[in-house]
Amino acid sequence: MTTRVADRRPMILRVVMSSFLVLWLIVAAFPFLWTLWGSFKVEGDFFSKADWLNALTGPLTIAETGGSFTSSGYYGAWVQEEFWRAAMNSLTVVVCVVCISLTFGTLGGYALSRSPYRYAFWLLLISLVFRAMPPITLVSGYLLPFFEWNLWGHLPTAIIVLVAINQPFTLWMLTSFFRNIPKDLDESAMMDGCSRFQAFRHVIIPVMWPGVITTGLFSFLLAYNDFAVTAMLLSKENQTMIPKIASFLGTTQTKGNVMFAVSSVISVTAPLFLLVMFFQRQIVSGLTAGAVKG
Amino acid sequence: MKHKTFLWFFLPSGMAMFLFIAMPIVSVLTQSVYAPHEQVIREVENCTLFGCSKATQIDQEATRALRDAEPMGRFVGPSIYTDRNHLAFAEIAGIWRNASGLGDFFGQVTNLPFYDALSFTLTYTALVTPLSLAFGLIIALAVNALPQLFRGPVIFVSLLPMIVTPLVGALILFWMIDARGVLGAALQALAGDPGLSIKASTPLMWTMLIVYGVWSSAPFAFVIYYAGLQTVPGDTLESAMIDGASRWERIRYVILPHLLPLTTFMALIKIMDNFRVFEPIVSFSAGAHAKSLSYFIYSDLGGETRLLSSAAATSVLTIAGIIVLISPVLVRTWHAFGRVRA
Amino acid sequence: MADIQLKGLSKRWGSFIGVKAMDLHIADGEFLVLLGPSGCGKTTTMRMIAGLEDATDGDILIGGARVNGLEPKDRDIAMVFQSYGLYPTMSVYENIRFPLKVRKIPQAEHHERVMRAATTVELTEFLDRKPAALSGGQRQRVALARAIVRKPKVFLMDEPLSNLDAKLRVSTRAQIKNLHHELKTTTIYVTHDQIEAMTLADRVVVMSKGVVQQVGTPLEIYDRPANTFVAGFIGNPAMNLLRGEIRGGVFEGRNVRIPGFSGAADGQVHLGFRAEDAAVAQAGEIAAPIYSLELLGDASMATVQAGESLVAIKAPKDFQGRIGEPLAAQIPASLCHLFDAQSGERLRWSAL
Repeated sequence: MTTRVADRRPMILRVVMSSFLVLWLIVAAFPFLWTLWGSFKVEGDFFSKADWLNALTGPLTIAETGGSFTSSGYYGAWVQEEFWRAAMNSLTVVVCVVCISLTFGTLGGYALSRSPYRYAFWLLLISLVFRAMPPITLVSGYLLPFFEWNLWGHLPTAIIVLVAINQPFTLWMLTSFFRNIPKDLDESAMMDGCSRFQAFRHVIIPVMWPGVITTGLFSFLLAYNDFAVTAMLLSKENQTMIPKIASFLGTTQTKGNVMFAVSSVISVTAPLFLLVMFFQRQIVSGLTAGAVKG
Repeated sequence: MKHKTFLWFFLPSGMAMFLFIAMPIVSVLTQSVYAPHEQVIREVENCTLFGCSKATQIDQEATRALRDAEPMGRFVGPSIYTDRNHLAFAEIAGIWRNASGLGDFFGQVTNLPFYDALSFTLTYTALVTPLSLAFGLIIALAVNALPQLFRGPVIFVSLLPMIVTPLVGALILFWMIDARGVLGAALQALAGDPGLSIKASTPLMWTMLIVYGVWSSAPFAFVIYYAGLQTVPGDTLESAMIDGASRWERIRYVILPHLLPLTTFMALIKIMDNFRVFEPIVSFSAGAHAKSLSYFIYSDLGGETRLLSSAAATSVLTIAGIIVLISPVLVRTWHAFGRVRA
Repeated sequence: MADIQLKGLSKRWGSFIGVKAMDLHIADGEFLVLLGPSGCGKTTTMRMIAGLEDATDGDILIGGARVNGLEPKDRDIAMVFQSYGLYPTMSVYENIRFPLKVRKIPQAEHHERVMRAATTVELTEFLDRKPAALSGGQRQRVALARAIVRKPKVFLMDEPLSNLDAKLRVSTRAQIKNLHHELKTTTIYVTHDQIEAMTLADRVVVMSKGVVQQVGTPLEIYDRPANTFVAGFIGNPAMNLLRGEIRGGVFEGRNVRIPGFSGAADGQVHLGFRAEDAAVAQAGEIAAPIYSLELLGDASMATVQAGESLVAIKAPKDFQGRIGEPLAAQIPASLCHLFDAQSGERLRWSAL
């Protein structure tokens, strides 16, 4: 493909731009690759006092385990420290949060997108304010009542709290998706004999799948990545992955524990990698959906 | 849509938000004006053969009864807000009287825990927001100049810092800048100081947190700017070319105005996100050098003694803070809506 | 099959008036066209009849029964939307069948009725396709088929032709006309295109700013516009309107002098006449400089500058003239219309 004369950039500009981009790619990707590589070494290599190159070659790993790679960090975390339990908890929380968020959010977002009245605007504005509030401020509001009513520590509590915290964002995103669906569609369904809800279920939802999937991805990320709520509201046996990693850090004195954290960090990041790989287009479109409508 | 239908559709979402967002706000407001009960002290007389002595002891039963009867604690009004750990009016007045100059005054004020957290949070928000937007724009312009073939993989890699769990992303960076990590070692070599430790220095810690902030937020700005660049009106750009606009003038008069609404939108989102900065401080174990408002609340809530009232008061102040920060946008949206309706 | 009655029907949004106290009776089997510029309230009126918009005031009666509180699905109405509102995830067949399905009509009847509707609009070869794979005209026909598949009491059509190209519009227009002739279902048709209104309607309702300006057959509307709005809206070109004064049965305006308004009262008026009613001549009632000259094919359209108004006059196609040259034309009083200068209402005078 040849560029037309009008689009040609000066040489210097092209060089500067390209080298900046290469630099950015290194900055963005290198930490992950480095940690992935290091997660198969022992602590003495990952944090090497002698020479940073040890993290690459791993002389201590060879000395301690006999091979240049070891999965002892993963074994320690997943089996010894029962990280699998946290992973199961995370899975429960994330699946429930995504499903409930989407159910509530599609209903609410549809209503907001189709109501011509002023209160719809006010509700959106209020949820924008809710979106602005740091989750930890809400957590400090939950603790006392949850202790009183014995709600603290259970998975369902954390799930419904995460659903609620996700709602403002979910509503905004889905409302902007629903607004892109012509009103003619639900109106013709209603003329054809549907009630509002039937029109929503039979006609709008089938068209909305891309938007629902995109919003679901972001609900997933919010629930999966949450630390403030899950760390404060779940008891130790119900802990999800992220607070579990944080708890590894509290006990770094024990030798090898850091490697538990490193290996579980990689374990947590791997699904996110796959997510970006498969859903890159949806993530990009989701991010822009809100912005375009502004 | 009729009011009744609307109500039924909106009910689940509205109830969730009402119960778990609106009510907790009420809850922090009430908690912040109640303090925990003090323990009930009872005087007992111990009589032995050699006479009687009086001693005080904690009446566990009475204490528990009192706590059960009034779980909220005792009403103390706004005194928690004004105590040393929050707005610290008395301390500030004292500092004002004794401070040698304005610099000294601010120096001492930011030593107070709440102002310390506030100053870090505001600095972080004020620096990370524009820096990540600027970075994102440059990346977007650079990617836009790439051949179509390379764009996909570049976007993939660029998304990673944003998508990764904040606690995890910050940990990964933290391990690298550890004195024994690769970046830490590189910095030591660069500075020629083998004893250099980021963990030990407040300014370096702040810098690292801000670097993390830009690293993790720039992709968001990049994606949105990149999408914005795809929708720059081609006709306007071409008529600018024919009118004789240079490359820079085309960016200045066509592209940037087109991206301006996106910038406002992102600034809003990023101010919200940066104001709640929390996880990187946990990951960096930076509590000793840098506290954000969220971290301040978190450390009050955690630990053996849960300081619920103190956390509640900080929460109320934090919520007030973010509302003040985003109020220009709220007011503008409200006006814009008014115009549309009129 | 049913008639429709609108009694004092109004729609307001805050202080904005969408439709103002509309009274109308639409006979059973009638083809009624609501005509007006955008924002005149014609679509709002139709949406209120459909139940998609709540009336602020007034009653809607379909077949004698008041339907104000009923949901759209309970009014037994079918509607064709401007952008057709086809369900993109369903095939053409499923689209047409959808109304039968949600109305719980016995399964056994579905296939036959869908096929009959599809045959009527010549869609049988596209039944397996998704709407995205159809052309604009085909989509339009799917929307029609979906409307006729269950025999509703009333058809509503909201600018159904406006998304088609000019050629297709003519053929689809004929198809709709034929369909109505066959089914004889009461039909309300909204458009801003006066040619559609003229060709399709039994009666036309001209609306402006939420108010009905005139109700009548296409010919009545064309020949005897009720006020200056209708006069200036109907016809291509629209009726010429000139300010002037009647004194002693003679109309006088800039560059125009027409005698013969014997019964008309003295005073300020608007005078109206159609371009085709004037005839170019050596001398006549109008004498003004030419502003522009356009060849239409079968004739020429000369526009002259009479005072501040431009007046269109139809001339023979071989008419020769130059811009700026004077042109004279004859227009007898009997072919002229008079409107009140203030209210714009049509004035009666004895000659008519």
